[in-house]
Formats: sequence, structure tokens, C-alpha cells
Amino acid sequence: MPVEHISPQLFEKLVDLAAIALDPSESEYLRSELNNQLTAIKELMAIKLDETLTPALHGVPFESADRQAMREDTLLPYATPEDIISQAPQSEDNYIVVPDIPHSELD
Amino acid sequence: MLELSAYETIEKIRTRELTAKQVLEAHLDHIKKVDGVPGKLDFGELSEPEAKKVHAFITLTEDLAYQQAEEVDRQLDNGIAPGILAGAPITVKDIFCVKDTLTTAGSRILSNFKAPYTATSVNRLQKAGGVILGKVNLDEFTYGSSSESSAFKPCPHNPWDTTRVTGGSSGGSTASVAAYEAALSLGTDTGGSIRQPAAFCGVVGLKPTYGRVSRYGLIAFGSSLDCPGPVARSVKDAALMLQAMAGADPRDSTASNRPVPDYLSALQKDIRGMRIGLSPDYFRNSMPDLETGEIIYEPIQKEIEQAIYDSAQVLANLGAEIVEDVPMPNTIHGVSVYFVISRVEAASNLHRFDGVKYGYRTGKDVSDLHDLYRLTRVEGLGHQPKLRILMGMYVSAAQYSAQYYQRALKVRRMIRDDFEGIFDKKGSYHLDALLTPTTPSTAFELGAVYGNTVMMQCADQFTVPANHAGIPGISIPAGFDQTGLPIGIQLLGPDYREDLIMRIGHAYEQATQTADWRKAKPQVVRELEE
Amino acid sequence: MTDYEAVIGLETHIQLNTKTKIFCSCKADSWGDEPNTNICPVCSGLPGVLPVLNQEAAHKGALLAAAMHAKIQPVSYFDRKNYFYPDLPKGYQITQYDQPIGVGGYFDLPMPEGYTRHIRIHKLHLEEDAGKTKIINNERFVDFNRCGVPLVEMVTEPDFRSGDEAAQYLVRLRQLLRWIGVSEADMEKGHLRCDANVSIRLRGSEVLNTKTEIKNINSIDAVRNAIAIETERQIKQVEAGNRIESWTLDWDADTGTLEKMRSKETEADYRYFREPDLLPLILKPEWIEQVKNSLPELPLARRQRFIDQFALSLYDAEILTTDKALSDYFEAALKHYKGEAKVISNWITNDLMRILNDLNLSANELKLTPQRLAKIVKLIDSGQINTSIGKSLLKKVQEADQDPGEIVRREGLGLVGDEEAIRALVESIIAQNPAEVTSFREGKEGLIGWFLGQVMRQTGGKADPKLARQILLELLKQG
Repeated sequence: MPVEHISPQLFEKLVDLAAIALDPSESEYLRSELNNQLTAIKELMAIKLDETLTPALHGVPFESADRQAMREDTLLPYATPEDIISQAPQSEDNYIVVPDIPHSELD
Repeated sequence: MLELSAYETIEKIRTRELTAKQVLEAHLDHIKKVDGVPGKLDFGELSEPEAKKVHAFITLTEDLAYQQAEEVDRQLDNGIAPGILAGAPITVKDIFCVKDTLTTAGSRILSNFKAPYTATSVNRLQKAGGVILGKVNLDEFTYGSSSESSAFKPCPHNPWDTTRVTGGSSGGSTASVAAYEAALSLGTDTGGSIRQPAAFCGVVGLKPTYGRVSRYGLIAFGSSLDCPGPVARSVKDAALMLQAMAGADPRDSTASNRPVPDYLSALQKDIRGMRIGLSPDYFRNSMPDLETGEIIYEPIQKEIEQAIYDSAQVLANLGAEIVEDVPMPNTIHGVSVYFVISRVEAASNLHRFDGVKYGYRTGKDVSDLHDLYRLTRVEGLGHQPKLRILMGMYVSAAQYSAQYYQRALKVRRMIRDDFEGIFDKKGSYHLDALLTPTTPSTAFELGAVYGNTVMMQCADQFTVPANHAGIPGISIPAGFDQTGLPIGIQLLGPDYREDLIMRIGHAYEQATQTADWRKAKPQVVRELEE
Repeated sequence: MTDYEAVIGLETHIQLNTKTKIFCSCKADSWGDEPNTNICPVCSGLPGVLPVLNQEAAHKGALLAAAMHAKIQPVSYFDRKNYFYPDLPKGYQITQYDQPIGVGGYFDLPMPEGYTRHIRIHKLHLEEDAGKTKIINNERFVDFNRCGVPLVEMVTEPDFRSGDEAAQYLVRLRQLLRWIGVSEADMEKGHLRCDANVSIRLRGSEVLNTKTEIKNINSIDAVRNAIAIETERQIKQVEAGNRIESWTLDWDADTGTLEKMRSKETEADYRYFREPDLLPLILKPEWIEQVKNSLPELPLARRQRFIDQFALSLYDAEILTTDKALSDYFEAALKHYKGEAKVISNWITNDLMRILNDLNLSANELKLTPQRLAKIVKLIDSGQINTSIGKSLLKKVQEADQDPGEIVRREGLGLVGDEEAIRALVESIIAQNPAEVTSFREGKEGLIGWFLGQVMRQTGGKADPKLARQILLELLKQG
């Protein structure tokens, strides 16, 4: 019996947070895979961590030889902003257009 | 001509024995014969003849390629020295932005996206005279180890046996090089995505040190793990390609400022006295039991284990010192840590795909912004991105972050420390490199593993530690298993010592140049000749 | 009637006046530009792009931290704050969550009533701004021009006790930001934005009760009013026996009312994690020292010094230290004048400031330099010109960009101090105005002013008034 790390309710919350409108069959498949994955990484919890251990945000240590100088405050305007806006599925008067967020009910 | 190495091809172009255009046309011709239909959305049934093709490509950029080849020839005509990759035919994993070309990331959500700019790494290849043939297929957003998750089907087939996977996520890269469709390919490696498919496809794949090659223009998966790198048919070719791409980039704060050494001359040195380690932790295939979470150990594929010992012998014969029983105790945690860290970064990196600014937007009528997001993302993204997003959100959520994400970052430190320990010049091992299998098995069948995401991820167990540690790693072909499938061996080295591992790889190649197994040709090429 | 006190903390977002954005090389200030013309792949969140920190943003952030007596952290980190919103192209904001560039600090806020409120600063951090949306007919029009503009977010402890104090803080903060040159701080252009956290408690209590957050406060008045109204509301709620809920409120400047905010962003779990595309921000001790040492004398300190050193009134010192350029001007003029500070102060507050206003210039942009102003006052003191000529010289010097002595010479503006000439003139005026002379001699001594006026008129204002008056009296009283 696979372990239910993520219940259907918690899954719903995650799906909502992720802004994805899943249908029930896809939900079930994904939820069961997630639970399998969480079981698979269970061993991570059991590892004894030394107090002196610092988190490794990157593997390589970025010594001073690696670090580039900070960027100068020099203007370099992008020549063709229209190339970017023309990518938008909907635009008008050079604005990108999306539907509004409807008012939620106030209690 | 197609079987020439990139180095030889470039030489012949430089000496005008061949023109870049000739080389290009030969490759385009070959591609037409072996590649079959390019990957596309909503592909239907795969016919029998198509099943035997490579399907490496999503987009062939013929016009661009001609322009570039003609430019190289024109430079040579005018006595201008061309770059170090002059005329070399190159494919680019479709995760790199290339200006005015379709850049899909293997996903529906970018299926109509034409990048307005070019990635630094691709730009440098072009500046060096490389001829970009097109964008090749991959796992969707590079999520996977088989290239089967692409929304663009057919997914690439292994040129050695087209019923098998290429590996992933840079499957299109390794397949195109293995099938002689290109001399070189630009791939990416986040958990093994260059090295593992290179092993499956019998080619050379290098993951440089994190930060050695700029990530600007690479559509991000795991920002602290992603490395662009070369795929080639020889170590020398890989070195040449790395030479053209490596180095600082003001557009990438994580690209190292260190000077780039001369990789080609480094290859010339012999390997006498080099200390090369073997670790028992890389000789067992570990798979978690999905009921209990307990790790089950099995031996790795017999032929692969044998290949390691055989290659160790070759290296010893060349004067290297083989150091056995090197403990790498935290190797076992590589996959778990990867499940956490890469997912947190991926979930965040995928936030921008929302149907607002570029790419796919839902065709349904929506009057609510939230519906726009939800429908666009459910329709535009496949299972693998969805899984990574959900997992990433879970393990970085406020109430779970400490036990998963924060913990994983510390275990990553432990994995890194293993490598620092063995490479430390003052340590008891002071190795120059670690020799390991690239994968626990050779290429599996199409459809055999896909759907079982845990098992799929475990295919990366020997490659992913190098991504966590940031160190460089290379996979080189070392023979075939009994069914004729390629075997890859991996060399892992210290930070920024690509020169060391390539030196060893090159020495191995030279020493095995005349081996029988090097005479074998991929199925798709053999079938052409028949 | 139970006595409540308001407990208020402020979060200000300050737009830095760097040339370029915080993570790309687009322009930082695009006020008034056409939409989506000041964008690039990086700030519009295209796939594959990466942020690169602007060193000047770090510098100005550190400078502000130093000015607020905060500790500049030698190592600070950037983090991602993840949420969906159309004006946030990457779907996350790069900010500093738990290891910001500045920690602690304080501001001693002098209130017009005479007391000083000590405001503790919790932290300062760097972050990028989002774009702008406007809502038209159920659709949102999104403009990315402002995405990536460098911001410093500064959070105070809940040390304010009224809307007035909060308003005064913004006035002083605006002054300080302009003074040290890190922001134009124009609230109308959104350079300085403010959110207020408001709660109440029984006076004398140390407890911190549930607070509400007021957003979208875009002017000094709005701060004062919004806080006052919310304090009122909370008191009424508590007195009616109701609990205060931790709402987020939107201030509507047009109606002067607070509305509970509609969107649910406030409930989002932002899943903060370290930004992997940026390295930790490392500031060397020598660099930090240099930043601290580069701070000029700050406005309130200078105001006090003007009071102590020059015996100026609080009122005058306050005006003279409105902005740094003006206060520098005052001191420079005084240095050249070498006389009474009050004199120069008056010239500046009465006359110079009007000129600055009319011409829309800053004191350091004037052709009427401090040296030249001092010269004009000295010319009056030494009797070479009279006061009204002196005042007219101000504009003349500014327009001609010339030394005042030059202009006096050229236009013959010098006082006529020739006694014979004045005597002759007075005699002729007396001769021509027998009626007034008689009136004067019969007792109407106030007419001296009229006679003086006649002398001034006929000399084109150049007569030395003292001398003219002396001679007039002498000759008038003779008869």
C-alpha cells in the first residue's frame, strides 16, 4: 500500500498554488507518482546531519577568481522591444492584455 | 566524409580540400535518409518504416545553415582566418534560444515561440564558424532520462537499436551525433542529461564544471545544476567545442571569470602517474522500494562492470595508478537530493509560462485571469513539468521546507565534501579523477520505464552527484553489451579540470583506437549501407 | 472613555535613482514613456534570461542604510518570492528575504509640536519593482517598463503613534533621500510608496495587538488621513466588543475611504528560496567604511548646527536646510560675506527662494552664485547701492551671468552720493513745491517721506537715501 504523503486535499491546494486546472484522472496519476517519489526520498529524512553543515546553494564554491566584477551602471537600451511585445498572444496599443481578476465576494 | 571527426572536417575545410557547403549538403542529405519525420505536436501513429528512423530533429534550420556555411567559405576565399569550428555541422538541443528560430523546449507551451535573441553558448559556436543545422529533440523542458516526455513526437530513437531510447534529456543531441547527422551537438546536463544519453548512444558527452559555460539563453531547469556542454564522437572534438564556448559572460553572474585553458594541448600530455580512483559506491544499482522507502541494492549490468575493469586496465597499462575502494558514501543520496533541489528550482523557473507574454495561450474563452493561467498550464505542459512543479511546491512550502529543501541543501554539501575529500592534494587519496560507470544499465526499450518516474530518475544515480558537486564529468564509449548496445564509462574530475578528465579520456581512446568494437556502426547507418 | 493609543509601523518602497535597472541595463526611470518601450529580454522575463546586479543599486542601498544608522551587512543574499501576477513577468520577484543588506538603525523624528519620536528601523533590503497594470473594461493592460527598477524596502518597528507622525516621517525621509542623492523621492511619480501597519492598544500597555495593513498610500496627506481613519475604525470596533481582523486595506484617495482588498495574494505561500542565478552580495569592510565616510552632514544635524553655530531661529534653519543645495549655498554665501548670518538668511528666504521657484532651479544651478550674492549684500552695506537696487541686481546677475560690480558699473546703478548734486536737486524740489514745504514747516513732518520719494524719482532711485534725507531735513528746516 503506497504511503499517502500527499492527501487528495493537500494535492488540491498544491494544484491551486501551481495554477494548473487538472482533471481527475490526471490528478490521480500525478498524485500517486508524487507519493512514490516522496517515499523514494524518505531516506533523506533519516540522514544524520552534522551541526556544522552549511547549506550548499551551489556545488562550486565561487572563489574570488570566479567572481566577475559587479555590473557598471551604464545604460544599454535594448534595440527592439517590439520583438518582445510581438510575442504576446494578445496586445493592444503596445500593452499586453489579459482578462481581469473578478471581484471576490466580500464577507 | 560523414564519419570524419569534427576536427578532421574542419581541417579539410580550412585546407579547402572540402568546402563548408559541401560538408553541409552531405549532412543534410544524410539527415533526410536517416532522421525520418521531425518531431511535432499531436503526432499520430508511427509507421513501421518511421519506427526505424532516428527522429532527432524538431526544426531543421536549412537556410540558416546555408548562410553560415557560405559565410565560412567566403571568409576562406578572402583569406580571412575562420574560427576554430569553421564549417563544423552542429545540432542544438531545443532548450537553447536561437534568434528567429522555433525554440520549443520540447513543450506545447512554447510550440510557437520564436526566440528574439540567441543564447551565449550558441552565439560563440556561430562566431567560431560552426554551422547550426537545427534544433533537436529532448525531454520536455529537459525533464527526464529518455527523451520520451517530449510533446514533439516521435521522440528520438536510439540509432544503435531504434526500439530503444536514446536516453535523456539530450537524446536528440546524442542521437544526431551517433547517427552522423552532425559532427557536434550542444546539450545540457542537469542530473546527467548529456552523459547518460551519450552512454546510451555510444558517443562522448561532457558536463563541464558548473559556471564554465554561460547559461544565458538556456531555458532553465535547475538553475544551480544546469550546464551546457558538448556532445561529440571523440574527446578531441568535445575539447574543441568546449574551447569555443567556455569562459566568462557578463550576462551570467554564475559564469566563472577564470581564464579558459588550452584544452587541445592538454590532451597531448600522457597519463603516466595520474591517480584514477574506483569506488564501490558506484558499482551498485540502488532503487528505493516504493512501499517502504528502503533502498534495494542490485548489481549493475555485468557488461558495464566488466567495461570499467577493462578500461581501468587500459589506463594502468598507460602508466596511470588505479586506486581501488575509494569510499564515496554520500553517492547514495544523489537522487533524493535531486528530487528536492531540482524540483524547487524547476517549479519556480516554470512560473513564467502563463500564457501572458509569449508561447501558448489556451484557446478556450476566458474572462478570469486565474482561468487563463490554469487552462494554459494544464493544456500546455505535459506530465513531467506538472510533476516537477507540484513536487517543487510541496518541498519548498513554508511548513515542509525545513525538512525537505533545507535538509537537501545540507546533504548536497555532504555529496560535495565526498569529492573535495578524494581530490584534495593533501588528502589520503589525492586523485586526479574517479572512474565510474555512467549508467547502471544500457539503453532500455521505448516505453519500458516511462511512467515510472522514480525508476526513470534512478537512471541518473551515477551522474547526478557531479551536478550537485558542480564538478566536471565526461562519458566516453567503452564497448558494447551482448545485445550490441553501447556502454559508457565516466570520468569525474576536480573543479575546472576538464583538461584532466579529457586527457584521460583521450588517452583511453587512442589506446583502444584499433579495438574491434570501434568498427561497429549504428543500426540506422548499417541499414543505409545494406 | 477608555484611552487608546495607535501603534503604527511603516514599510516604505524607495525607487533608487540609478541610471539602469537593478538586474539589466534598461533605463531605471521611464516615467511618461510609451508602454513596453523600456524593456529587454531580462526584465520582461523571457525564457533563458539571467539577472546581473547593478553595482550602483548596491551602493545606494548601502548609503541609505548608513544614513539610517543601520548596519551594512558584509554578506547578504537574494531570494525569490514566487507568485502569479501579470505585472510580474518571471512569476517571481527577486528580493532579499532573511539576510538583507541593512539591519537595525533608527531615525529621530522631530515633530512640530516640539517632541522627538525615536523610530527604530527593522531592516532595509534591495528588490526589483514590478510593472504596471491598468484595468479597462474587465481587461488588464500590462506595461513592463517599470519591471526591474531598483527599490529599497525599508521597514520600521511599530514606533509611530499617530498619522501625523507617519506623515512627518515621510516628509523627513523624502528630504533625506534627496539630500544623500539616492532617490528623487517624488511621491506623485511613485518614487516613494508607503504601506502602514496599524493596530491599537490601551495606553500604557506594551502588548502588540492584531494589525491591519493599509496599502496604496501615495501622498503625505493620504498617510495622515488613512491612518487616522483606520485608528478611528479600530477603536469603534473594539468598543463595540468586536475583534480586529488582520485585513489588508486599500486606500482610495478619491473617496478618502478604506476598502478591504479584493485579491487573495495575501494568502499566498511565497516559498522563498535563495536566488540561484545570483551569488551572495559580498561587501568588503573597506568598501563599507568608504560608504559610511562618504555620507554628508545630514539635514537635521545641519539644521541643529545652523541654530547652534549661527544663532538662527528654528524656523530659519528649517527653511535653509530644505535641501542640501540650498543649505550649501547659504554657508558658502555666508563664508564670502563674513558678516551676520541672519542677514544672508533673510536674503535667501525672502528673495532667493522666489527666484529659485520662478526659474525652477536648484540652488547649485544658479548663475547668481553664493559669492555674487555676498557681493551684492556687501555693496549695500558699504553704501554703494541702495537696497532696492540690490534686490533688482539679483535677477540681473542671474540673467546676465555677470559679477554684480560689473553690472553696477555698466548701468550706472551706483548711489549718487555726490553731496553737491543732491543739494542742488533738493533746492530745486523745494523751490518747485512751495505748498508741501509750507505744510512741512507747519508741522507735517511725515511729508519727509514724500520729499524723499521725489528725490529718488528724479535720481532714478540712485540717490543715497541717508544723505538725501539729511540734506532735505537741513534745507526744509531752514526756512
